[in-house]
Amino acid sequence: MAPDLTADPFAPPPGGWVRVSPRLAFVRRAIGLAIVLPLGLLATVLFAINDLSVWAGINLFVMLLVAVWIIWIVGRQVRAIGYCERADDLVVTRGVMFRELVIVPYGRMQLVDVRGGPLARRYGMSTLQLHTAAATTDAAIPGLPVAEAGRLRDRLAALGEARTAGL
Amino acid sequence: MTELASVPRRTHPLSPFAKAGQGLSGLVLAVFVVARDVPGGFVSRLGLVALLLIAAAVLGWVSWWRTTFWFDDDGDLRIASGLFYRNERRLQLSRLQSVEITRPLVARLVGLAEVRPEVAGGENAKIALAYLSEDEAMAMRAELLARAAGVRGGHADAPVPEERPLIRVPPTDLAISMVMNHWVIIGGVVGLGFLAVALATGRIGGFVAFVFTSGLPGLSLVTGYLAYYDFTVAESADGLRLRSGLLSTRAQTVPPGRVQAVSISQTLLWRWKGWVKVQLNVAGSGGHEGNDGSTGTKGGVILLPVAPVAVAYGLLNRVLPGVDVPGIALAAAPRAARKRAPWQFNQLAVGSDASVFVARGGWLTRRLDVLPHARTQSVRVTQGPWQRLLGLATTHVDSTPGPVAPAAKHRGATEARAIAEAQAVLAGAARAAFRPERWAVRPEEPAQPGEPA
Repeated sequence: MAPDLTADPFAPPPGGWVRVSPRLAFVRRAIGLAIVLPLGLLATVLFAINDLSVWAGINLFVMLLVAVWIIWIVGRQVRAIGYCERADDLVVTRGVMFRELVIVPYGRMQLVDVRGGPLARRYGMSTLQLHTAAATTDAAIPGLPVAEAGRLRDRLAALGEARTAGL
Repeated sequence: MTELASVPRRTHPLSPFAKAGQGLSGLVLAVFVVARDVPGGFVSRLGLVALLLIAAAVLGWVSWWRTTFWFDDDGDLRIASGLFYRNERRLQLSRLQSVEITRPLVARLVGLAEVRPEVAGGENAKIALAYLSEDEAMAMRAELLARAAGVRGGHADAPVPEERPLIRVPPTDLAISMVMNHWVIIGGVVGLGFLAVALATGRIGGFVAFVFTSGLPGLSLVTGYLAYYDFTVAESADGLRLRSGLLSTRAQTVPPGRVQAVSISQTLLWRWKGWVKVQLNVAGSGGHEGNDGSTGTKGGVILLPVAPVAVAYGLLNRVLPGVDVPGIALAAAPRAARKRAPWQFNQLAVGSDASVFVARGGWLTRRLDVLPHARTQSVRVTQGPWQRLLGLATTHVDSTPGPVAPAAKHRGATEARAIAEAQAVLAGAARAAFRPERWAVRPEEPAQPGEPA
């Protein structure tokens, strides 16, 4: 039961983290780049046709920097997401700069949602969202394979029903 | 009322007029200001007002006629309403969190009151029975609370439970406490400065600044004073009853065991008087916005606007029976926390006993947050970059939305996780031992399976 707490407050529980699909990183990178690249290219072109070639160059450079940063940070963020089903609660972790670990007791889950945008669904992923009576709980697990999301939802709903406690 | 309870009823016939009374002055003013260009002068404007009044009266009356309420076979409250599209709502009384009776000024003058049952998670389901006669309102409150407690029906013929007054906040203390707030004083001084400049230079800007720094906050002070005037806390069989108000009055009843979290806070200047304020998180409370005597922040209830520390702790004992909050040993934050939170470092401390989690903090306004383990929703550990450098992390113990958000701030990183794991275990044990939702049902009767939280 007692996790190894030698140094890291986000150390995995004994079962270890279950990580989410690496395809989530691909989808998130695609979305990020789909926003940054056209805007950056548009600005570059505008600079260029106005004879501001120095600014066009700087803009292009910054755009590439941002793109590389997105590719790098998204990978780290996705690798930081993990969850673990324990005997009495679900533990979810995420975050690179601002790290977070949420322990949600099964008896406190009021609602378990599975949702997914068109791109995520295209790559067979869903997001599982847990709701408790606290607005601050904020436990979502993105990038779950559709089947795993369904299994987890059914299991959590069953556990929640068995252990639900009054507010 | 018992046998009649399941027969659909209407609110008091004067309701539409009392409701209209609130908007009336605004309407008349609007017509006279906005409709200045209507040809025909004063008489035709008067005619317009009359026309609008008649239309509003008809609409109000029809919607009153179309609104009925009753208790269904499951013992829950149902309300049917709607002019053309009928809408029937069900209030699940096992989830009742509190009942408030408000008397807005106009309604109060004609002896009417509004009953507002608050239900957990009822974000879109704010239900108000407006208006009932005062006797009817009190009988309704008793009935709602009795049914919520599991005493199904039959209770209403019994007299409305007696109240035992516990605390009354003297209006002078309330007035002094509201002025003795560092923000109020700073705002006042700055505002007077602007006023002096405006008077000296004759520039309009100074007056505008005065209105924003002193005038508007001053107005909210006055409305706050009117709302909390003569604040009393009383105890009755169906819960704690909080009454206040000078012009519009309200009486809120919080049944036992519906308190999600408590905070005791003290602003800078109150330290001198030894005063504190006590706030509660109550699930589903405070969602009514804008009008009349409804007070407190969203999800919160002010249990005591101002009181001496000893009185506050005495009341805390009734809200959380058997918990000795001042007796809980608190552990201070590690020295590294001084770099992250230099101002409140001296206050930062947390503790826990078998039944509650306690966190202390704050700089100018010091606060002590108390959360019963059985009410813990989830536990979170968070760490920002600066905290990581210092080897710190914060453990949040999540409560329902409201003014109390207990957290063990800036603990040692490993300690933060240990606190979180310990809280999860304590919360689980407390939940398992907790009494059923329907608090008057005897323990040997099993709670209904699948009763939602």
